[in-house]
Amino acid sequence: MGPKDIKNRAGQSIVNDAITNAGSSPSRQEKTSFILVVTRNGHMAEAVMNYAVNVADHLKYRILAVHIDTLPFFGDGGKRSNLFTAAMEESALLFREKARARDVVVEHLGESGKVGKVVQRLCHSEKRIEFVVIDQGIRMGEVAAQSPVPVFSVIYTQARTIHTNKARSHKTLEKGEPSMSTTSRKRHVKNCFVFGALTAGLYAAVFTNQNFVMTYFTKGGVYALLPVAVVFAVSYLHGNFTSAFWSALGIEGSKATVRKSTDVRPTVPASDAVRKDDRPRAQISV
Amino acid sequence: MHGPVNEVIQFIDLNAFNIIFLFLVGFIGGLVSGFIGSGGAFVLTPAMMSLGVPGTVAVASNMCHKFPKALVGSIKRYKYGQVDIKLGLIMGVFAELGVQVGIVLQRHILEIWGQAGSNLYVSLVFVFVLVVVGSFVMRDAVQMKHAVGNSASPPIAKRLQKIELWPMLTFKTANLRISLWFLVPVALATGMLAATIAVGGFIGVPGLMYIIGATSIVASATELVIAFVMGLGGTLIWAYYGTVDIRLTLLILAGSLFGVQLGAIGTTYVKEYMIKYVMATIMLIVAVSRFFAMPKYLNALHVTSFADGNVTVMTQISFGVMCLALLTGASIILVSLFKARSLEQAIAVRG
Repeated sequence: MGPKDIKNRAGQSIVNDAITNAGSSPSRQEKTSFILVVTRNGHMAEAVMNYAVNVADHLKYRILAVHIDTLPFFGDGGKRSNLFTAAMEESALLFREKARARDVVVEHLGESGKVGKVVQRLCHSEKRIEFVVIDQGIRMGEVAAQSPVPVFSVIYTQARTIHTNKARSHKTLEKGEPSMSTTSRKRHVKNCFVFGALTAGLYAAVFTNQNFVMTYFTKGGVYALLPVAVVFAVSYLHGNFTSAFWSALGIEGSKATVRKSTDVRPTVPASDAVRKDDRPRAQISV
Repeated sequence: MHGPVNEVIQFIDLNAFNIIFLFLVGFIGGLVSGFIGSGGAFVLTPAMMSLGVPGTVAVASNMCHKFPKALVGSIKRYKYGQVDIKLGLIMGVFAELGVQVGIVLQRHILEIWGQAGSNLYVSLVFVFVLVVVGSFVMRDAVQMKHAVGNSASPPIAKRLQKIELWPMLTFKTANLRISLWFLVPVALATGMLAATIAVGGFIGVPGLMYIIGATSIVASATELVIAFVMGLGGTLIWAYYGTVDIRLTLLILAGSLFGVQLGAIGTTYVKEYMIKYVMATIMLIVAVSRFFAMPKYLNALHVTSFADGNVTVMTQISFGVMCLALLTGASIILVSLFKARSLEQAIAVRG
């Protein structure tokens, strides 16, 4: 890993700030070991940052975080590049904070071009890079083919939960339950009247035309569909009416229902219930 | 209103008493169905027969009211997470086959022995099934009540679940895995009984509990799906022969949909053994009722020769005992529902 001319990098780089903690700038003579963390996304995944910071802390390495803009000449008048830069700065700030908490040094680079080429170039730069960690969105093969050092990818599932805050916020609705049930009580009363009237109409229609109904409905054959159709209509209208009726009176299922029905069941065999491992983990490819 | 022997199917006239009676019986039958998954019908078939409705029309009209009620009930109980739809549909399809067999049998009996013979056959099956299954369920309910903690699945079910016989089926809500070959006999028996006495649940629910191994809550809820599938199929066939009295069906439905909702709500409050307990209690009392109804049909067939006065008294006793069964079941359900509900509210208020 000899030093390599990296002058062509300057022309393409968007940001070329070495972000280091105060008073701990890397000394090139010491040949400190680095972990190269690469992403092609504006925001590097937090799981990747955490993993890199953890490992760097254990091994006493430093981190070289690189954002690679793979589409620097995207045809939108530089909009994408600007957004990418903005995201990168945010991401760098976050990474720096995470690292500072663990006393780890992070240097930050903005690059552009092909991921494999950038990694190869950086590995051959004056920095001593021990291994590469890639973020999601980068193909392992692309990097591993060009990198002289091991490449790890971090597989994580936690990222999804970050975006599902909306789903989790349902739980907080419990606080507003009294007001919820009073509003739905009104809805039940309304449903009760609407479906009650419709049911009454249907019954009136059948019983005022008893002779006609009894003649045709008992004819058999294809006429069998008549009673079946009528009872389906009744089950929809009257079913909704009766459901709304009891709810309007405030008679509803026990709140502890769900818990009870699961309590009653025997426990599932352990083999069926293998817990999903959602910790970030590394995959090696040399 | 009702001749001693009617070879021709006859529809009754409706008066105010009949209408109110059917509504109330429908309500209580629905309450019981919503709670134990079936059984509205076992009360309703004899109830209609007590009004003088011929057995075939009673069974047909009953079946026609059963599937919309089962539909409404299963939707309600599905919302409480008690229904295993897959189990219900598979059992339902095979139960439907059983229904076809049962219908053929019933029509043969109607042809050979006439209306009275048909009535007697229905009553005999009633008494036999109610007594045998009812006492078994009652024994289990009492044991369960006194047992400490939750009892495990019944021994027969446990053994059957261990037998790996293709095709094995997994049911998530019921939380069990069993071969199709053990579901089929239970389903067929359910269907045959349903076609004969319009209530398959007396085989279906105990079958699901003791042979398949579902809990009584899941079993009674899933039975509603089975009842829907075979009720729909059965109704189409009875209606094809023109035996459905839609007026009776609608009157019963008017009450039973109120009941089925309340019964389903009730299951969310009570302990598991209560479902078995209510089921067994009602079955045994109705069995007594049907026993008293038999001399009437036996006389009509000239098998026995009870005095007319005695037959009338026995028919009245039969009617009274059945009302007692209805009221007992309904009151157990309602009392336990409102007791548990006020207890829950008291706990909620105390925080």
